Amino acid sequence: MTEQGGVGGEHTGSSDQPAASGLSVDRSVDAAAERRRGSDGDPDARTAAGGTAIAVEGVTKRFNEGPDSVLAVDDVGFEVETGSIVGLLGPNGAGKTTLIKSVLGMVIPDEGTVRIRGIDVGDRSRAAYANVDAMLEGARNDYWRLTVRENLRYFATVSGVDPDSVADRHDRLLDRLDLAEWADTPVRKLSRGMKQKVSLASVLAGGAEVVFLDEPTLGLDVESSRTLQRELRRLAEEEGLTVLISSHDMDVIEAVCDRVLVMSEGRIVADDAVDELLRGAAGGTVVVESPDLDADAVAAVRERFPVTAVDTLDWGTRLTVEASGDDLYDLMDVLATAGVTPERIRTVEPDLEDVFVGLTREGGR
Amino acid sequence: MSTDTDGSAPRPAGYYHLARAVLYREFLLFVRYPANAIGGVVISLFFFGVLFYGGRMLAGQALTDSIEGIIVGYFLWTLAVGAYSSISNDIGSEVQWGTLERHVMTPFGFAPVALLKGAAKVVRTFLISSVILAVMLLLTGTTLQLHVLTIVVIASLSILSVLGLGFAAGGITVLYKRIGSWLNLLQFGFVVLISAPVLEMPWLKLLPLAHGSALLQRAMVDGVRLWEFQPTELALLVGVAVGYLGLGYAVFQLSTQRARRLGVLGDY
Repeated sequence: MTEQGGVGGEHTGSSDQPAASGLSVDRSVDAAAERRRGSDGDPDARTAAGGTAIAVEGVTKRFNEGPDSVLAVDDVGFEVETGSIVGLLGPNGAGKTTLIKSVLGMVIPDEGTVRIRGIDVGDRSRAAYANVDAMLEGARNDYWRLTVRENLRYFATVSGVDPDSVADRHDRLLDRLDLAEWADTPVRKLSRGMKQKVSLASVLAGGAEVVFLDEPTLGLDVESSRTLQRELRRLAEEEGLTVLISSHDMDVIEAVCDRVLVMSEGRIVADDAVDELLRGAAGGTVVVESPDLDADAVAAVRERFPVTAVDTLDWGTRLTVEASGDDLYDLMDVLATAGVTPERIRTVEPDLEDVFVGLTREGGR
Repeated sequence: MSTDTDGSAPRPAGYYHLARAVLYREFLLFVRYPANAIGGVVISLFFFGVLFYGGRMLAGQALTDSIEGIIVGYFLWTLAVGAYSSISNDIGSEVQWGTLERHVMTPFGFAPVALLKGAAKVVRTFLISSVILAVMLLLTGTTLQLHVLTIVVIASLSILSVLGLGFAAGGITVLYKRIGSWLNLLQFGFVVLISAPVLEMPWLKLLPLAHGSALLQRAMVDGVRLWEFQPTELALLVGVAVGYLGLGYAVFQLSTQRARRLGVLGDY
């Protein structure tokens, strides 16, 4: 871990990045996978500015004493690189919120250290949290009786930035999140989804360099969620914003995150790039539909491959078989020998949700 | 971080910006939601009416003779209640809204933010209490010595100690959420402090409000000016104010520290 990344917040001042915003606006979320692949070998500005934004080491937190004590976080350690977006996944009660609150100093861990941009939060919490902001699930996070813009200005000031100097940034943020029209409306008059967006905007308004977002897309419609994902990507890529994001929405995680941490029962059970997690997942399955799939044919397939489902259709049978890679050739041979003409074939790749369910089930054992 | 649209870098905010933001927010709430302030004025005046007319029925001339003292005491009481409840309720709400943490994480540190909030509450309370005072004087046909500088300094220092209690109560509410409403009852204890017999028992001067109340009586009833008080008496007033404010803030800090250990900070 490089310590120099932690000092001086100005290294992210990326005047060397000419107005690239026009490009990124058009970039669709679908390009996420491509970007992830590309970012590995691409020494762009943010990795050069680099360093470790968040370093967590051996953090443990136990609530209550005695027999009914709960080990909420169990010796957790990870690092988050500056300018990256890391997802935190886990079933309810896995310890995600306690972990985030521990990193934020809202919960004091029993053991372990947390460093933000190289600064130990226990020793120098003011300096450590100077460029950090957070949006926690269930929190309003802003003042409902102030207008949207007043909130942005207020919280920019509280986080140490002269609001006049970031007025343009606020305008753009409001514009991107489709809030411009409501800029001068008191927050309490807005719908739930809009309030959510204001809350996010106020977190992004102050120029924080590390932000924690707990379920940021909860209650947002698809369009708003996409806009938010794009804006997060843009801020990470252009301005070196570091994001730790927790969500139950796998699509959001898959689309925006460079890396995913999976928690189960207080421990981190996986820590990898989204692609790696998907690649490392248990092999795919093949679904074959054909009128020729009679009992003999199914039995023939069963002899060689694990069959996970046999469904009867109006016009034939649907067979779900676990097979991937070279096994596919063998499967086709078996089918050909049994005289089966495949009407429809499709392969099913495991998605993040499958990986997640598999991991947390293992972790639970 | 730079913005790519305007090319100008964000400038850091100073204490001036912070003060402006906190006071401006208080101002906006005050003008945008006048019902809260008006409600406070009406309720205070209603209680005073009951006290005054009811008392006159019971005590007759005796009450009319001491009406000046009662008005001054009541004025200080509305100030104290305003400062105490606004800061303790404010902390309670901010915890619920999840905005308190954002103030705790500020690079300014929480203390300046809290003090500015306290100052904003005091200014707001002064505005409301002045209206109440004016109506009380009109209603009873009483005249008082209204030397503004003297009154503002003495009364402000008096209620700083109560502001400290407000911080302590707010902190305790963070830990034990249900206790909040009980702590509101403390405001009735302020009556005892304001009417404490400090001449007979000088040690009572060390309690919040008591000494300040006595000084304010002399200022408003007898017309003593700020610079005509004994320096030792003013020093004691300052000492009590700073002492309770510091103590209250320390209790607040310890409570939030404990809340973080127990993991109950930010449980919405």
